[in-house]
Amino acid sequence: MSNCGNCERTGTCVSVHGSINEMQDRASAMGVDTVFDRYQLQQPQCGFGMQGICCQLCSHGPCRITPKAQYGICGAGADTIVARNLLRLAVHGAAAYSHHLEELARTIKATAAGKTPFSIGDEEKLRQIAGIIGLDAARPAAELADQLADVLLSELRKGSDEPLALVKLFAPKTRLEAWEKLNVIPGGVLSEIRDALTKTMSNIDTDPVDLLLTTIRLSIATGYMGLVGTVTAQDILLGTPALTRSEADLGVIDPACVNIVAHGHVPLMATAVIQAAKTPELVKLAREAGAAGIKVYGSMCTGQELMQRSAGSAAGFAGQLGNWIVQELYVATGAVDLVMLDMNCSIPGLKAAADRFHTRLVSVDRIVRMAGVEDHVDYEPEKAARQAEELVKMAVETYKKRGKDIHVPQAKSAAVAGFSVESILGALGGSLDPLLDAVKNGSIKGIAAVVGCTNNRNGHDVKSVTITRELIKRDVLVINAGCCSSATQAEGLMTPEAANDAGPGLKAVCQALGIPPALNFGSCVDIGRIGVAVTAIANALGVDPSALPVAASAPEYLEQKAVADGVFAVAFGLLTHLGPVPPVTGSPLVTSILTKDVEGLTGGRVMVEEDPVKAAEAIYAHIMEKRRGLGI
Amino acid sequence: MKSIMIDLDACNGCLTCTLACAAAHSRSGSIVGAMQEKTPARIFIEAVNGRAVPVTCRHCEEPACAEACMTGAMRKDSLTGLVSNEGHEQKCVGCWMCIMACPYGAVTAHPRERVALKCDGCPGLPQPACVAACPNRALRYEEPAFFAAGRSRDAACSAAQAS
Amino acid sequence: MVRHLIIGNSAAGITAAEILRRLDGRAGITVVSDEAEPAYSRCLLPDFLAGRKTGADLRIRPADFYAGNRIDRVSGRVLRVDPRSRQVLLENGGCLDYDRLLIATGARSAFPPVPGLSGPNVTGLRTLADARKIVQLAGNVRRVLVVGAGFVGLETAYALYNRGLEVTVVEKMPQILPGQFDATAAGILQRDMHAEGMRIILGAGIKEVLTPSGFLNFFNKSAQGVLLDNGDRLKADLIVVAAGIRPNVELVQDTGISTGRGITVDQFMRTSVPGVYAAGDVAETEDVVTGRVGLTPIWPNAVSQGKTAAWNMAGQPRPCSGSLGMQNAVEFREIPSIAMGITQGGDPGLEVVTAGQPGQNVYRKLVLRDNVIVGMILVGDISGAGVIGALIRKHADVRKFKDDILRGRFNYGYMLAEMRNAG
Ligand SMILES: Cc1cc2nc3c(=O)[nH]c(=O)nc-3n(C[C@H](O)[C@H](O)[C@H](O)COP(=O)(O)OP(=O)(O)OC[C@H]3O[C@@H](n4cnc5c(N)ncnc54)[C@H](O)[C@@H]3O)c2cc1C
Ligand code: SF4
Repeated sequence: MSNCGNCERTGTCVSVHGSINEMQDRASAMGVDTVFDRYQLQQPQCGFGMQGICCQLCSHGPCRITPKAQYGICGAGADTIVARNLLRLAVHGAAAYSHHLEELARTIKATAAGKTPFSIGDEEKLRQIAGIIGLDAARPAAELADQLADVLLSELRKGSDEPLALVKLFAPKTRLEAWEKLNVIPGGVLSEIRDALTKTMSNIDTDPVDLLLTTIRLSIATGYMGLVGTVTAQDILLGTPALTRSEADLGVIDPACVNIVAHGHVPLMATAVIQAAKTPELVKLAREAGAAGIKVYGSMCTGQELMQRSAGSAAGFAGQLGNWIVQELYVATGAVDLVMLDMNCSIPGLKAAADRFHTRLVSVDRIVRMAGVEDHVDYEPEKAARQAEELVKMAVETYKKRGKDIHVPQAKSAAVAGFSVESILGALGGSLDPLLDAVKNGSIKGIAAVVGCTNNRNGHDVKSVTITRELIKRDVLVINAGCCSSATQAEGLMTPEAANDAGPGLKAVCQALGIPPALNFGSCVDIGRIGVAVTAIANALGVDPSALPVAASAPEYLEQKAVADGVFAVAFGLLTHLGPVPPVTGSPLVTSILTKDVEGLTGGRVMVEEDPVKAAEAIYAHIMEKRRGLGI
Repeated sequence: MKSIMIDLDACNGCLTCTLACAAAHSRSGSIVGAMQEKTPARIFIEAVNGRAVPVTCRHCEEPACAEACMTGAMRKDSLTGLVSNEGHEQKCVGCWMCIMACPYGAVTAHPRERVALKCDGCPGLPQPACVAACPNRALRYEEPAFFAAGRSRDAACSAAQAS
Repeated sequence: MVRHLIIGNSAAGITAAEILRRLDGRAGITVVSDEAEPAYSRCLLPDFLAGRKTGADLRIRPADFYAGNRIDRVSGRVLRVDPRSRQVLLENGGCLDYDRLLIATGARSAFPPVPGLSGPNVTGLRTLADARKIVQLAGNVRRVLVVGAGFVGLETAYALYNRGLEVTVVEKMPQILPGQFDATAAGILQRDMHAEGMRIILGAGIKEVLTPSGFLNFFNKSAQGVLLDNGDRLKADLIVVAAGIRPNVELVQDTGISTGRGITVDQFMRTSVPGVYAAGDVAETEDVVTGRVGLTPIWPNAVSQGKTAAWNMAGQPRPCSGSLGMQNAVEFREIPSIAMGITQGGDPGLEVVTAGQPGQNVYRKLVLRDNVIVGMILVGDISGAGVIGALIRKHADVRKFKDDILRGRFNYGYMLAEMRNAG
């Protein structure tokens, strides 16, 4: 099966990764349906939905904009329907990020009270941030942490008429001016979500331009709270990532051990489980069950969070299995005993795959539920230590039921992780200058953040890996985050040796610093970290982010959090490439605003290009143009 | 004789024609009713690298399905020109020879009954239900020559015979 | 007025008569056959055996067909064709004149040279008369032996099994359906028949049919049955032979009309003698895939050859679109299957690719030569088989779609899209 449409061979070719093709073959032989199979069954897909011109809000609907019906029954045209649908997608993204941040704030408070297995992981950052937001940074750490968590919670919950402090404090001056002009500086995130949802009800806000501005406003709230706020709070709690080595791809699975997979986005329970899995009593329990030990692997963003902190709070992390699409296939190895599902991205299809084997699925977040999954160990900060122990015990019990039909692919790759502004500064000797000099003298032409989800349109991870390869070849330093990190990791692009695949300039810089040409910035929340890095560079050079030779790309964007991220990148002033065509093309107005007109307002814009090589060329051209603008 | 002409560029894969087809062949006569009755559609929106391409019976001049039919149930009506295995003295037994023969893949096995299923051209309706329902005007019920004048490219496709 | 005479009132003959009438409103059309019934479908004889259909249900044309099309019917057996006098001689002594003659005499069951095969409880299944005989015998017997696990043999076995008889099938080759399917596909279908309760013995031939007294001599027991070439004996009250067919060519012997196994024809269905055409199971044509001349004894080929013969007899020359010999659709129980063309690899020039899960009764196989499909097997999911058939007939280069075809994703839309891209 090939789904790029230009392959002449027969044989499974659903993914850029050999391990995944191998497992897909096994799954089909066993009659286990996967994302790949169901994707084919959904073809062809409805053009109205693909173009965003289907509205199901009221019972007159569904209405579709067709050659003969240019308006829905209420009179809404394509522009209104598309803009309203887009805003609804962004609302989902904002809400999910807010949930993550709330869990974190609760955990910080409980930790400050000494009730969790965690301790403050980065006190220096705590004091620094506390200072910026106006707390008395001289107070004891626990007290400060508690206050900081309160600030975060109140920022989340305050009214939409009270501007977000984090935006004012962290955004570059030039950005603030642009956003003030558009009246898109958001207030409390939950209030913004309420306003946006209200606006998208039928017949409240039907002005496509206002709906788009609301999308931008909501995305800025997401950017500074859901992304920057979450990353910062997570660093304070679990420690700021430090450079470390790990491994990725399905070959890391060790069939001799009790195998637990931490799957999702919120690494709190997972961190507690890694710690619990090291306790002698539980290791003994596993040995008694006949296993060599207990291993905790990562999947998706939770895995990236663990990997980048595996030199600290997540020490003992056993490696990254893969991204979103991989979940059914690692279960199909037959060697996974327990999958912990935290928020979000646990697909309903996972249950059917798990039922084919002995694998136990356990939701570990109160909002994650899946039909047929009866085990819920919903994370509560105060009980986390006991809950983690319970999970490990469940895994050991399940291990005993493991069948004989086990197949683990050989493939795995080394991977360097733990890049953050702090660890980069550390590697550069305390200053960004060596990096900026490399950009100025042209050894590095620019920086591209290749981030976001994975997607089966055109083949799993084909686009993210191809675009990353094409960019580094052109001396563009790539920063990966989210599912894209798992993609390039498994293909070995996150090793220093991959510098050999880079252009001569980038190769020399990588070799001098001993870094890979594709830097792992972690999970999709860590896109916030990229925002912080770009802000730091912009400030160092004294220019607006939109003037920098940088760009963002979400070559395989999939779900709603990515929509909010993407709009944030545009609002931030970046050229933002999207691989899959977003569902807006049914509206000429929305399409034109997002891909052209918005540039005059924020400096950023969306570029849609399905061909990854052409996309890399366009990003390169953009970077070169920005260089000329800066006179470098 | 009028026939169903397909404008490939206009089809966006919304599947409305398949719903209308099922409705027209269901007991209830409605789309929701047909979905509940699980009435199968007789027009197919196939996927070609993700792009939608309508495929349905062309009611051929010399239908391969009728030639292969070993009961005489599949026959071309000399008046209407419609090819069908329904409504004749001879009955379809589901031997699938027509499925083996049709070069367009326009005949399928009924999902629950042992009979072959294909477009019957909606005899009695002013135009086939699929054509009437298409919101994109990708399906038209026209004289081939008339269609050709409008869109020569696609008419060429429609006229092209696979065998 | 041209006088067309057609010998044979079945797939090829009746199609030719019908088309001749369409092409020429005034011609004289006579159909002679040695079966008294209006044209019926042999393919439905198993349904008759199973009791699902009556004799009248087998008719392939409406009741008013002959009168409505002004086709004269003559009942009688043709002994000889005389091309010099343009006459055919009937068994009853009569003779019929013609200007153009179509020989569509089909074939009959072939009986292997096994001692005892001519006994009273032994029959083939080719005609409605055969079927009536079997039904009549079936009333008084318990055990049926079917010789040959080809398509007709298995259909027969299955039909009699459905009548409540104990059925055993004996097949010389090591698999069922040896002519059309490969071992994997045959294995799936055989497992399905076993599940139903039918007994199938493979790799054994019939050595001798034992009469009651013979059986007594050999085994000291009074019973009827057969002796297999592996030494085993089987009791059987009724034996149905389904070991292939033999074309009915006797009527052209020593007439100058050349024959091989059947009557040799060119692509216009002309025999070696002017004015005489042949079509259907009795004719030998060139196979579109193998290029070999031989019989292509299936219903669709008989119809399409009958059609071609009619056009040419009516003076409107038109070649046959080409017969694909080995093709068949089967569904014995509930696994539909289709095979076409060359289905076994082996030959070094052939590429064989397979997909599916035989364990779950799904199997697909393509046999290709230089990226051109020359054969296929579909088991379980047969949708779109004709589209692949068209690719086989057209000798289309499928390198771009090979995998999609193998996975069952290919459809006619691909060809439309190609045509559009080609402008
Ligand atoms: C049990 C069974 C099941 C079958 N199932 C299938 C199937 O599922 N699919 C498929 O494709 N094919 C099937 N076949 C094969 C198919 O029936 C034949 O290919 C087809 O009938 C050939 O048609 P025909 O017109 O060439 O000859 P026939 O059908 O053999 O007809 C010959 C005609 O000639 C007449 N005739 C013969 N000799 C004389 C003579 N000397 N004088 C006067 N008249 C004469 C006969 O009365 C008859 O009318 C099956 C066959 C059998 C027996
Ligand atoms: S079903 Fe196929 S062969 Fe029969 S008339 Fe329709 S397109 Fe032609």
